Amino acid sequence: VTAVDRKGTMNQVTVRYFAAAQAAAGMKEELVDLPDGGTVADLLDRVRSRHGEQLSRVLARSSFLLDAAAVRDPLIVAGPRSTLDVLPPFAGG
Amino acid sequence: VRASLQAVPIDTAGLEELVDTPEAGACVSFVGRVRRQDAGRDVVALEYSAHPMAEAEADRIAREVLASSSGVCAIALTHRTGRLAVGEVAVAVAVSAGHRGQAFDACRELVEKVKHELPVWKHQVFADGSDEWVGSA
Repeated sequence: VTAVDRKGTMNQVTVRYFAAAQAAAGMKEELVDLPDGGTVADLLDRVRSRHGEQLSRVLARSSFLLDAAAVRDPLIVAGPRSTLDVLPPFAGG
Repeated sequence: VRASLQAVPIDTAGLEELVDTPEAGACVSFVGRVRRQDAGRDVVALEYSAHPMAEAEADRIAREVLASSSGVCAIALTHRTGRLAVGEVAVAVAVSAGHRGQAFDACRELVEKVKHELPVWKHQVFADGSDEWVGSA
């Protein structure tokens, strides 16, 4: 694949919402288009603009899993068909 | 190590039996229940939801405590999911060890790790009709 071919390619990424994030987003999961090479930070920007202030507040307190691995750096690339889990603060016990 | 999440009421006595081994001179168990009041408001119901990986995480937590503690013989841990009434058991752990100090310490560490690391969420509904996702407000 050449650079020209890749330019403008959109990937579909699944975002799964849990608990307070699910309540704020009003859905369990959705597909979000992300330009090729887009990062978790880019993905969260798109999610914030789709949904309201309420979800933004939850996102600010959440941690994330990208394909079941903890996201330590939001500049990690979210590849095609990847899944991002939005995890609000745990509250077991 | 036995770690699980369950949608049905927890049998706390059964949990203690699970960690009963001939090497264990001490067994310490902890039971966490749904409290009637939270921050001065009356709780009418509480619902726990869990991430699909929560049971695997419970197992990891229990194994980490077992590996990092001295003298611990066995660990059993279970957390409820779904809708619970006031007084129902939300979490229960049992730890057996050679001696009581080891069992107390490991039990405490286990409960704290469950609170901080288990991907489980609590939704509280109050008598006045309001509700809250604990820790997310």
